[in-house]
Amino acid sequence: MSRNFYVKLRLKQVHVFVFTFLSFLILTTNLFAESVVTDGHSNEEVKRGERFFKGLLPFKRDYSSCVSCHNLQLTDTLNWNPSAMDIALKYADKDFESFKAVVMNPVGVKMEASHVNFTLPEEDLKTVKAYLDNLAHSGVPPAKPTHFNLILFLFLGVLLTWALADLIFLHKIKLKIIPMIIFLGAFGWQVKMIITDAIKLGRQENYAPDQPVKFSHKVHVGENGIDCMYCHTTVEQGKSAGIPATNLCMNCHIIIREGTNSGKFEIAKVVEANETGKPIEWTRIHNLPDHVFFSHAVHVGSGKLDCKQCHGPVEEMDIMEQYSDLSMGFCVNCHRDTKVDFGNNGYYEHFVKMHEDLKSGAIDSVTAADIGANDCMRCHY
Amino acid sequence: MTQYWRSLEELNNPVEFKKNEVKLEIDAKRAVAKKASGSSRRDFLKVLGFSVATAAVVASCKRPVNKAIPFLVKPEEVTPGMANYYASSYFQGNEYCSILVKVRDGRPIKIEGNDLSSVSQRGTSARVQASVLDLYDDARFKTPLKRGDETSWAEADEYIQVKLDQLKKDNKKVVLLTSTIISPTTKKVIQEFQQFYPNVEWLQYDAVSAKGILKASELSFGKAFVPDYRFDKAKVIVSFGADFLGTWLSSVEYTKAYSAGRKLMDKGDEMNRHYQFETGMSLTGSNADVRFPIKPSEEKTILTALYYQLMQAKDFITIAAPASPVDITGLAEDLLDNEGSSLVVSGSNDADTQVLVNAINNLLGNYGKTILTESALNTHAGNDENFEQFLAELKDKKVAAVLCWGANPVYNHPKGSELKTLIEAAELSVSFSDRKDETTAACHWVLPEPHYLEAWNDAEPKSGVYSLAQPTISKLFDSRQGQETLMKWAGVEAPNYYEYLKKNWSDEFYQLQTKYADPRLFWNDVLQKGVFEPEVKSGEALSYTENGLEKAVQISEASTDGWEVALYQSVALKDGASGNNPWLQELPDPIAKISWDNFAAVPVKWAEENGVQNESVITLNGMELPVFVQPGQAAGTISVALGYGREVAGKVGDNVGKNMYAHVQVKDGAKQFWFSGAKVETTEKTFELALSQTHHSMEGRPIVRETNFNEWQLDPTSGNELQEEHEEHAVTLYPEQEFKGHHWGMAVDLSSCVGCGNCAISCQAENNVQVIGKEQVRNRRIMHWIRVDRYFSNEPENPKVFHQPVMCQHCDNAPCENVCPVSATPHSDEGLNQMAYNRCVGTKYCVNNCPYKVRRFNWFKYVGNDEFDYASNSDLGRMVLNPDVTVRSRGVVEKCSFCVQRIQEKKAEAKVAGRMLEDGEIQPACVQSCPANALVFGDLNDPNSKISKHFKNERNYHLLEELHTLPSVGYLTKVRNKKA
Repeated sequence: MSRNFYVKLRLKQVHVFVFTFLSFLILTTNLFAESVVTDGHSNEEVKRGERFFKGLLPFKRDYSSCVSCHNLQLTDTLNWNPSAMDIALKYADKDFESFKAVVMNPVGVKMEASHVNFTLPEEDLKTVKAYLDNLAHSGVPPAKPTHFNLILFLFLGVLLTWALADLIFLHKIKLKIIPMIIFLGAFGWQVKMIITDAIKLGRQENYAPDQPVKFSHKVHVGENGIDCMYCHTTVEQGKSAGIPATNLCMNCHIIIREGTNSGKFEIAKVVEANETGKPIEWTRIHNLPDHVFFSHAVHVGSGKLDCKQCHGPVEEMDIMEQYSDLSMGFCVNCHRDTKVDFGNNGYYEHFVKMHEDLKSGAIDSVTAADIGANDCMRCHY
Repeated sequence: MTQYWRSLEELNNPVEFKKNEVKLEIDAKRAVAKKASGSSRRDFLKVLGFSVATAAVVASCKRPVNKAIPFLVKPEEVTPGMANYYASSYFQGNEYCSILVKVRDGRPIKIEGNDLSSVSQRGTSARVQASVLDLYDDARFKTPLKRGDETSWAEADEYIQVKLDQLKKDNKKVVLLTSTIISPTTKKVIQEFQQFYPNVEWLQYDAVSAKGILKASELSFGKAFVPDYRFDKAKVIVSFGADFLGTWLSSVEYTKAYSAGRKLMDKGDEMNRHYQFETGMSLTGSNADVRFPIKPSEEKTILTALYYQLMQAKDFITIAAPASPVDITGLAEDLLDNEGSSLVVSGSNDADTQVLVNAINNLLGNYGKTILTESALNTHAGNDENFEQFLAELKDKKVAAVLCWGANPVYNHPKGSELKTLIEAAELSVSFSDRKDETTAACHWVLPEPHYLEAWNDAEPKSGVYSLAQPTISKLFDSRQGQETLMKWAGVEAPNYYEYLKKNWSDEFYQLQTKYADPRLFWNDVLQKGVFEPEVKSGEALSYTENGLEKAVQISEASTDGWEVALYQSVALKDGASGNNPWLQELPDPIAKISWDNFAAVPVKWAEENGVQNESVITLNGMELPVFVQPGQAAGTISVALGYGREVAGKVGDNVGKNMYAHVQVKDGAKQFWFSGAKVETTEKTFELALSQTHHSMEGRPIVRETNFNEWQLDPTSGNELQEEHEEHAVTLYPEQEFKGHHWGMAVDLSSCVGCGNCAISCQAENNVQVIGKEQVRNRRIMHWIRVDRYFSNEPENPKVFHQPVMCQHCDNAPCENVCPVSATPHSDEGLNQMAYNRCVGTKYCVNNCPYKVRRFNWFKYVGNDEFDYASNSDLGRMVLNPDVTVRSRGVVEKCSFCVQRIQEKKAEAKVAGRMLEDGEIQPACVQSCPANALVFGDLNDPNSKISKHFKNERNYHLLEELHTLPSVGYLTKVRNKKA
């Protein structure tokens, strides 16, 4: 039964993956087809602007292309300069003159240094504006997804099918142990891939999404030494640590309007948010499933845990990322190891017998798990 | 042993009943997917397979990106994720309650009782609890409307102001028709409006008025008012058809007072005795110690007889008392033994009857003791007499315009349909209603008010008791307070009722206190507390006169042919104003245990003789009504609930049940809620009712334990003898559990519990319990985590009734825990029987193995499903969900958690503060607002806690002790106070 079963299973898997792949293709082609030209710019203008922006136009230049500083795609290292999208959105509603003024007559230390000696022909600049307007409208084309895992999976599938076929029908390889090893190896590897991916499903370890403002914890915490609780004020009382209200940023940024790395562009977003009353929409990094209830107050306010324990070396992160996998195992293991400050918190006087045991030396310490921290309904209700 | 039964079928043929019940349960379970979706099990599996595959593909492609949007400027008092509580006042349908509103991230999601109010004393009713859902009602108006089309405030104001000016010039009458207004500041606004437009007449109208009491007190005391009844001071309570625990006047206040007089904890505690004369079985009647089923027409005869007997006993007269249909000699003696500490009330709206009641109370010396005349209840000012006059004037075109504010006479007046055409034909008709209703549908203009949780207001429910209402959310829709609308029309350019209210309070009420030297401080204090009860009571006791008594004692011969029909307000829906509230529609009636319909309650004997059963259809004066055979229904009478049969209420409330207001009769200028000479005919038809009385059966085991007061006095364990016996036989294979820190437990005092259902709705709001609709209720799938079981005993013509709230018993040897194949329901270190939804795979083994039948299975996805188009099927309706509790999906089991989210919250608070938890600090939703103080929650590990004292009480027992499940819920025996 088993052979047939595996072949069938394989075929099914291949079906599923072919289907996925096809839908991907359809999706991406759709997106390309939908890039309509708007805002009164012709298609050619936009195309030319794009090529200019990307430095693809064949003429001599003394300075690097726009894209070398203002990246189009998300990069995994922090690029302090405003991205193409940032600029596009900011100038989408403004006229060409104001755009030109900023490019040609930069303000702020950083920009002056990089835009020095710009002598761009006005026609080119116009096409760049056209391209950016179009970008603001249609969005950045999606990055091509990397299919390494999928290809590997399919390759293993082909390999094991071949091995199986050889074992049953072809008999090309005399030594039967070889296709057998290949089959088991390929199949085992596939199972391992499925299991690891399934476990990771819904987890976001190292998740570091693009944020609307290039806020660097490294600069604020690492370099300037601001305490976590200066901004995350509700961490000791509330369930959530709290994302600072925009007016809290203004405590410092009322004066500091230009960053060493980022120049004026990023801080201006915060100032603008504060002035227009339109709050910044951050992308949430730590997402617990809906059925998990977590309280910072208990862990930080009462448990006195260090933020780093779960959030990692935040002071070294330019781009904030999720440090721990925040899986149930992560929580439960910590509860098993962490000792509760039993003597000094009045609440624990409820645990009369444990206090007696501590005194008599029957137990030497109490962990969080000992007082029920790993009960289901501590977190799931 | 006494037999306790839940339905007549069970009483008459227990064996057959049990067989049938099992069959019904199986049938219901078989009908799973078929009815609701019209697809078979096979389709279901196909869809399931496809959706899993799709979900897998989609999930692997894209990860949902969530936004985190902070405040621009964080308000000082707001901590994201933590709730704030604001004191406010509820006043709807003549019911007042001082409340705390739980606001989570800017959204009111729960109502709690306010301890500081002397009126509601932290209690609420199911209606108050459910009112938070009305805020998120899809039937609310989003903008002002002109003949059904969207319009602007400016346009409406301009048109109406011109029109009003014209009418003023022409000196044509304009009527401002409101429900009872207890807000002193609103009254002032209306007065100013009337000064500006002298042609405006203000008329207060209520669906169910107290005109009889008002008229009688005018005769007896020279002032039309509802006196202040003090049930807590009374040792003997006699009620003639007044459902004072359910719907009559100020029921929350009376329930608090009544149950306070029946609390038996220690030796020497006293208990009041309660006699009830009534037609149908009301909530109050079900709690009475002695109950007399009578015809409505007999009420006055009995009162007259009682009056004469008392007069005789006091040697004031010698003439023989007229014959009474029931024997009341014992009652008369009891009353005479308790002069000055007895209380006679009547629910009748007939002035003569109420005059008699006044005379009896005066004779017994109750005034100044159990009835205070210096303080009045202001919640019932509706004047039926004036309304009749208004109706006549409107017909004669003497009234040119109607401004309708809070009253819905098209629905709840017998001449509603006539009124509808008259309002449509008026020169101008405006409604201030915040949501759809029948009267508003007839009005030309709709100028929607905000919901009370979005508005400023004040209230004076009783003379000298003031309270404030404040907005707890900014207005959801384009609405304007009625007060501001009137102020605008009276020439105020930019009306601001908040400022007006504040000013009025500093002008009028600030001087009534001496604590604060600054009106602003005074205002802040009252706003924080919600209530202001100055020491000095206004008014003096009034003296009694015998006016009208001579006429009242005349007994008119009642016609004896035909049926007598009593119309009552149902405990869930009361007058029907909240008809579109699915929580209330699904709350089973406390006696009949029927939801989603009203019905004709018929006497047992007649039903037997005529072969009528539950769900048969009879015609009552031509109107078809489904039957419920009601134990305790007086012979020759039928009771039907008001408040149903709404036509313009919204998607939930439309056409649920039948509207009985058409049968209300107006006699002597007051609505009478009974009529005689009704014709009743049986039909062959049947009508399905959502009857949940026999669901969740505990298989006839002795669940209720009871005793009588005199026996309890001799031996507090009386009625609870089984407890000792079971404890002796307790043997277990399980290792004994040790609870190191807390061990949570709950106690239910069956003597205090009146069965009102407040706990069920409070729990529903707190724990995101879903509404499932009539059909699914019939299929025995009602989701309530706490249900109030009702048992009868004795003869079905006049049975004893027991109410028993049953929630998860959190057994220490829980039968459900060891049958779960995936460990989704283990026991916690604090004695909680936990339920991990994300682990549950839906085998339902636990449901089957729970002897208390408290586990609920999610047969469907009840949220965001068009098949269940109730509150949770729109973004607006879902705003009421509590973010601290998971919304359960299809295929998992759920049950009471002892409100673990509240336990966790309070524990966290204590931990952060480094202190121990106080006894009573943690209060589950059901406990917090119980109007009868019947529920106690606390830590069993603390020997001094209230709960430990309850568990040590001799009356304490556990359900099905013989199973040795060791429940963490204890019940105190029901004690009645029948004369020995």
